[in-house]
Amino acid sequence: MKTVLVIGGGVTGLKSASELAQMGYNVSLVEKEDYLGGQVAKHKYYKLAPDLRLAGDVIDPVIKAVESNANIKVMKHSHVVSVSGSAPEFKAKIKNSKGESEATFGAIVVATGFGHFDPTVKQEYGYGRFKDVVTNAEVEEMLNPNGPTKGELKRPSDGKIPKKIAIFQCVGSRDRQVGNPYCCRVGCVVSTKQAIEIKEKYPDSEVYVYYMDMRMFGRGWEELYGKAMEDYEVIFTRGRGAEVTLKNQQLSLRAEETIMDRPIQHSVDMIILAAGMAAGEGTIEAAKVLGIKQNDYGFLSPKDDFLSPNESSKPGIFIAGADKGPMDIENCIVEGAAVAAKVAGSLKN
Amino acid sequence: MAENTDKMVIDGVELTGIWKEFLPSRILYEDVTTEFLDEVKKLPGGSTIVRCYQCGTCSGGCTLPDFVDKFNPRRFIDLVRRGHYDILVNENKDLVWKCVSCQRCTHRCPRGVNTQEVVRAIAKFLEDRKVFGKLTNDEAFDEIFMEEVIEDGRIDEIKIVKDFYAKTGRLKEMMSADQLSLGFKMLTSGRIKLFGGKIKDWKKVSQRLKEELQ
Repeated sequence: MKTVLVIGGGVTGLKSASELAQMGYNVSLVEKEDYLGGQVAKHKYYKLAPDLRLAGDVIDPVIKAVESNANIKVMKHSHVVSVSGSAPEFKAKIKNSKGESEATFGAIVVATGFGHFDPTVKQEYGYGRFKDVVTNAEVEEMLNPNGPTKGELKRPSDGKIPKKIAIFQCVGSRDRQVGNPYCCRVGCVVSTKQAIEIKEKYPDSEVYVYYMDMRMFGRGWEELYGKAMEDYEVIFTRGRGAEVTLKNQQLSLRAEETIMDRPIQHSVDMIILAAGMAAGEGTIEAAKVLGIKQNDYGFLSPKDDFLSPNESSKPGIFIAGADKGPMDIENCIVEGAAVAAKVAGSLKN
Repeated sequence: MAENTDKMVIDGVELTGIWKEFLPSRILYEDVTTEFLDEVKKLPGGSTIVRCYQCGTCSGGCTLPDFVDKFNPRRFIDLVRRGHYDILVNENKDLVWKCVSCQRCTHRCPRGVNTQEVVRAIAKFLEDRKVFGKLTNDEAFDEIFMEEVIEDGRIDEIKIVKDFYAKTGRLKEMMSADQLSLGFKMLTSGRIKLFGGKIKDWKKVSQRLKEELQ
């Protein structure tokens, strides 16, 4: 039986590995970190939109399915250094702390995922300069009871619970200045979800969302948006956050309420930047090692976006999940299963 | 009570019949057009106007509204694109040219609109349509300054002051006692000269400049 190499231990990689193993294939799963679960585990995602169910409820069964399957060999803290040969026989060198090893694989699944956009480059938002300007990933960590603040939303500067919170949408997405003109596809719903979580936990707080468009296209997203406005009184303002300054030791943001033609200055206790998705380090590394095509933004390009969405530019190398572009967890799981079917089909021939 | 079947019409609105006719829907603008957008697009610096997606980054970070209330680049672009020429002229013609070119909007624009240039192009568009009417002092001075540079290749202080007052119709003011004494002081302290020097063979350059600016 041929062995499949799965690069990346995030949701997509885990799902494709367990699906392939269930079909009877041997799988080697390479993960660069020493834990499985990718960004979900890294940033301790707490609840998932739109149902507000625990992320653990979703990710733990997927991890368990991999760890409990004898056909899957999980290699943590490992990197794929080089790959030679072609389909259906690839020779891959895998390096970890113990040294290098070489093995032969029938197919390769690249599921290296995304990285959170680093908002430091958006200087006008003051991320890195002002302690109370945080990213949405940091808020996830805070809201998680297992996180650094034990589930409390605390201002990094003084540890107090903020009363007025502003959320800036589209940080590092839909932005030609930083070279990311694409939509991050999850920022809208994640911010709405976080606003609801904050309002649920601290009913006295005020949450303001500064947006350009709220793109609620996913299952149940629009309903969640309505809920945020009606049941939780989250204030949505149409206008992109323009800048953040410090005024009398308090964060002050500027934006335009475009519906009213009115530039506003707004003092808040904390600003959350809805940082978008960028191609992950692992994705860029994998593209280099495997020599597969990337698009303008560093994500991997499928052979044909419509007809063969899970095939890379090289035969025998398959791509899936958020390394192809921004994607939510629900669709990543679908992708993981889809790529497994595609791999199984190609190995039969 | 007997039903009144006669029509009652007040100010052109029929008050009998279907009740909705009491409340005609309000129409604020009629006949929107992209004709102005096409015009601004063709002006120097105006081409990026089409990229704007109205997020308000420019107006939110603009340095002017603290001093010039209602200065709003996003709105200028919106009005041009929708063809609301009347609003642009009535409410914004005195605002558009006040941009100080700090370029904050241009540097931040997520869509790569060269906002400062677009605002300039809109001002030029209005200027071409002669909506500003009488020249302001600044504009009059600019014009004379350019004329003189092209004509003589340099600025003659006395001539430019004289022409400026003449152009703005204030020659009498120039001959007032305090203006004359100020002029005398400046003359004796060497700040201004009675006769500016000439530049050799400027005629040819002047000719060429005029051709180029045609």
